[in-house]
Amino acid sequence: MSAAGASARLSLASLRAHKRRFAGTFLAVLLGVSFLAGTLVMGDTLRAGFDTMFGDATRGTDAVVRSADTVTTPGESQGVRSPVPTSLAARIERVPEVAAAVARIEGAGQLVGKNGEPVGGQGPPTLAGNWITDPVLNPYRLAEGRAPSRTGEVVVNRGAAQRGGLRIGDTTTLRTPDPVKVRLVGLARFGGEDGMAQVTYTGMTVGDAQKYLTPRPGEAASIQVRAGPGTGQRELVEALTPVLPKGVEAITGQESAEENTEMISGQFLTLFTTFLLVFSGVALLVATFSIHNTFAIVVAQRSRENALLRALGASRRQVTAATLTEAGAVAVAASLTGLLGGIGIAAGLQALFPAIGFPFPEGELVISGVSLWLPVAVGVLVCLASAALPALRAGRTAPLAALRETAVDTSGASRARARTGAALGLAAVAATLTGVLLTPSLWLAGLGAVLALAAFVVLGPVAATTAVRVLGAPLDRLRGLTGRLARRNALRSPKRTAATAGALMIGVAVVSLFTVFGASLKATMNQSVDRSFAGDVAVSTPSFGAGGSGLSPRLAPALAERPEVATAVGLGRGVAEVDGRGRALTVTDPAALARTFHLGTVRGDLSALGTRGIALAAPEAEKAGLEPGSRTRLTFTDGSRETFTVRAVYDRSELVGDYVLTREAWAPHRAQDADTLVAVTFAEGVDQEAGSAAVEEVAARYGNPEVQTRGEYAESAAGGIDMMLTLVYALLALAVLIALLGIANTLTLAIHERGRELGLLRAVGQTRAQLRAMVRWESVLVAAFGTAGGLGLGGFLGWVLVAASDGASESAFAFALPPGRLLVVALVGLAAGALAGLRPARRAARLNVLGAIAAE
Amino acid sequence: MTTGTAVRTAARVVDAVKVYGSGDTEVRALDGVGVDFPAGRFTAIMGPSGSGKSTLLHCAAGLDSLSSGAAFIGGTELGTLDDRRLTLLRRDRIGFVFQAFNLVPTLTVAENITLPMDLAGTRADREAAEWIATLVDIVGLRDRLHHRPAELSGGQQQRVAVARAFASRPEVVFADEPTGNLDSRSGEEVLGLLGRAVRERGRTVVMVTHDPVAAAHADEVVFLADGRLVDRMPAPSAERVLDRLKAFDARASKEVSS
Repeated sequence: MSAAGASARLSLASLRAHKRRFAGTFLAVLLGVSFLAGTLVMGDTLRAGFDTMFGDATRGTDAVVRSADTVTTPGESQGVRSPVPTSLAARIERVPEVAAAVARIEGAGQLVGKNGEPVGGQGPPTLAGNWITDPVLNPYRLAEGRAPSRTGEVVVNRGAAQRGGLRIGDTTTLRTPDPVKVRLVGLARFGGEDGMAQVTYTGMTVGDAQKYLTPRPGEAASIQVRAGPGTGQRELVEALTPVLPKGVEAITGQESAEENTEMISGQFLTLFTTFLLVFSGVALLVATFSIHNTFAIVVAQRSRENALLRALGASRRQVTAATLTEAGAVAVAASLTGLLGGIGIAAGLQALFPAIGFPFPEGELVISGVSLWLPVAVGVLVCLASAALPALRAGRTAPLAALRETAVDTSGASRARARTGAALGLAAVAATLTGVLLTPSLWLAGLGAVLALAAFVVLGPVAATTAVRVLGAPLDRLRGLTGRLARRNALRSPKRTAATAGALMIGVAVVSLFTVFGASLKATMNQSVDRSFAGDVAVSTPSFGAGGSGLSPRLAPALAERPEVATAVGLGRGVAEVDGRGRALTVTDPAALARTFHLGTVRGDLSALGTRGIALAAPEAEKAGLEPGSRTRLTFTDGSRETFTVRAVYDRSELVGDYVLTREAWAPHRAQDADTLVAVTFAEGVDQEAGSAAVEEVAARYGNPEVQTRGEYAESAAGGIDMMLTLVYALLALAVLIALLGIANTLTLAIHERGRELGLLRAVGQTRAQLRAMVRWESVLVAAFGTAGGLGLGGFLGWVLVAASDGASESAFAFALPPGRLLVVALVGLAAGALAGLRPARRAARLNVLGAIAAE
Repeated sequence: MTTGTAVRTAARVVDAVKVYGSGDTEVRALDGVGVDFPAGRFTAIMGPSGSGKSTLLHCAAGLDSLSSGAAFIGGTELGTLDDRRLTLLRRDRIGFVFQAFNLVPTLTVAENITLPMDLAGTRADREAAEWIATLVDIVGLRDRLHHRPAELSGGQQQRVAVARAFASRPEVVFADEPTGNLDSRSGEEVLGLLGRAVRERGRTVVMVTHDPVAAAHADEVVFLADGRLVDRMPAPSAERVLDRLKAFDARASKEVSS
């Protein structure tokens, strides 16, 4: 029998004997691995699903002809392309290799549902276009009803119709953004699904599409081409290229499909899975603490047993190996179970998503090799790494310890620990302050944040004693002896308490970091609106995502005619390259702009822009070295280049944007016209109510967009933040759950240690209820310590993030601590502690008094 | 209070039977024991290993339940009480001294002494406070009140346990081998304390011991063998107790040889 065999047999025997002790470790690894595996499998499955969907939808398209030039603004993934003339389709059709060529007109069109609320618009685009009659070239297929044949008739993708409660035969409004009355005559499907994810699509007649979706007739987004028999996609493109005008390109249908897939899977999905992976990382980090703690306690409790082994001749290495083998066995079992769990989660989500209205592409689960080995490897590694130190300590057990009473490590923090922690803390503060205040740098600030986390973890045991004493002080008065006992129990092993609380601390820190950051973003929006918005009401589109179809450019002039309104100014969006770099433009009436927004100091004259003038924000002007009077070159998507003169430079660009052009200057280059914001100031003497009523009355005629007060406007501008926070909270629930399992596990192990003491307490008259309360309160105290640390750390990290963002960007960031939300976080932490204590408390209360006293 | 007055019973068991296991593995630890522990007296329970003496103490003190028969503290039959009432009875009417691990390590000496009262949540009145002060002086730990148990010697710890057992002036104090873990001098001190509590303060003590010297501190010794009460010996001395025990051994060996 080999030596390795002996330690393996020992550890397996010990595992069998103490299954319960490792239940917490098992669950922590299982949950972390499930999350990771689920994310990977779901990501792959979604990606494959979208691939299939786009492949199916565009199978009939062999080539796409489109403008070659794009203008891409910073922060945007796709460029803006100028249109191509529809007449090109006829010319292409004359090419012998071509079977059919159809102009595809595309713009924004937002449906209004049965209930009067717009459908979609909170993220994914709301598209409208001409219904392509060639069924092979149309990515949408009729599922019910018929194609639009008369003006006003539309086909809608089935998913959108369902969300809006619309049925064939219904009449509703399509905002393009001018309201158009439309009648639903057909329902469509895309690539075998009820829609392209959450994108809504409305197909109209060519005439309607030209009328409502393009600024000028005869323009299309692209030409879809089908090859004749025997012509491959590549050959088709080669045949097409000679007949295309300058600035227009042809790509194969496959390339086009790949571009589309890339747009969704490459950007949306990658972002989505990265996001989930970060949170599974947090969960696994938290698990590390719980696992380390479990092994540390188990090794301490087993020191007599290990010492006996050492006395009988086991080498250090054998004892260490036995502990590691134990950890490995738990890790492998838990990781494999977790892997199955993750695949189960992905399968469950695939079934669940369609039920909640999110079309999850059909098809088999895609389980790649990476999704199989990576989660298992990570799970095993996390478990072994967490158990490594305790295992080494087990190996170092002196044989003499066999003769001593099993001792719990009650030592507080060593001086070295305090010094290391303090040094880390100082380094963290120094790095952060430098990164935030002196030389703004996200990297330095990030380093500071990591150092701060390390300092908190190292200082945990140093702080545990004081923290538990302070946090538990009210307990003495509230709960008398029970509280006092709970507090002293929590103080018994500061290291253990700190490690247990550390897991929760990290979870709570991430929660509060996001809470603080979210609140700060909101405060920043509020501040922007406060400082820059001089209007009384605003009509705005959702700021999150594509924002639906926008607002009619005719809304602002119509509003201006009302006697209650002094100024109404609409802001539209445009893009152009300014001196070679893509920039977002604000298209508006600059003269009126100054009356509804506080622009700070304005040098030059905003009312003198004309068709060749531009106004820009001071920081941009400074960067480009532009002054009022200097010239700059703009390149538009249609390829035209024009020289503009800087007429004005303004200070505050928060709501207005960095570059301002007149509508007249933009008109020749415009696409579908839409405003994103209309700001209104009331005439003198008009109160809020009367003014709002007047604005609402007008707005009702333009697709009924929401009229917002200043406060509502600020809130809607920050609307995406709450949604994001909810998602983050849901994802962090797992990390917090793992932390709680850790607390429960530590307590269970501690109760096992304290058996005789509990027996004594029960013998001299502690009731079961008192015993349960004692254990629960200990749990709450440990949770309170973790929560308090987490709130502190999270608040600090939040401040670092906000301050660093403030330093790194030109717009001012406001820092806000939301007391209400943080209080909720604190209460949830405490309640969770009480919950974690329930099971250990029940177990402790079931203890046999006599058995406990009589032991040894 | 002295012997000879009309004797009140502090604790008693009637036809006490305690069976562990069943079938082949059945062990009758108590086999129909009936015994009264009079108030104001110091009674020792003795017997060879496995005679059931510890089981008798546990059942009489409400730490364990009888298979049949009845155990009383004063007029209260323990078998009729649920776990909560039994716990409260132990807390309010019984004191305990165990062989080892008598103190809660996280509490100070003072807190350990008042533990049962603190568990009851009662505020000590003046009389109780005076009694505890007296106890602290009797056990001689006034200068150790704020120490933790780990800072005390074994004998000191056991003296704290004695103080705790009497602190709430229980009807009866049960001591289970209270000197088992102590050297003879510390053991003598603890036994002296138990004896003084009975003779000077009129308390009641029931003690299980295997040590004839310890038993000699009692007013009376009851002997158990094979789960039955076999003898009572008033005013014991160590020699007489030892002789009595030897008689058991002789009989036991005779039984084996026959």
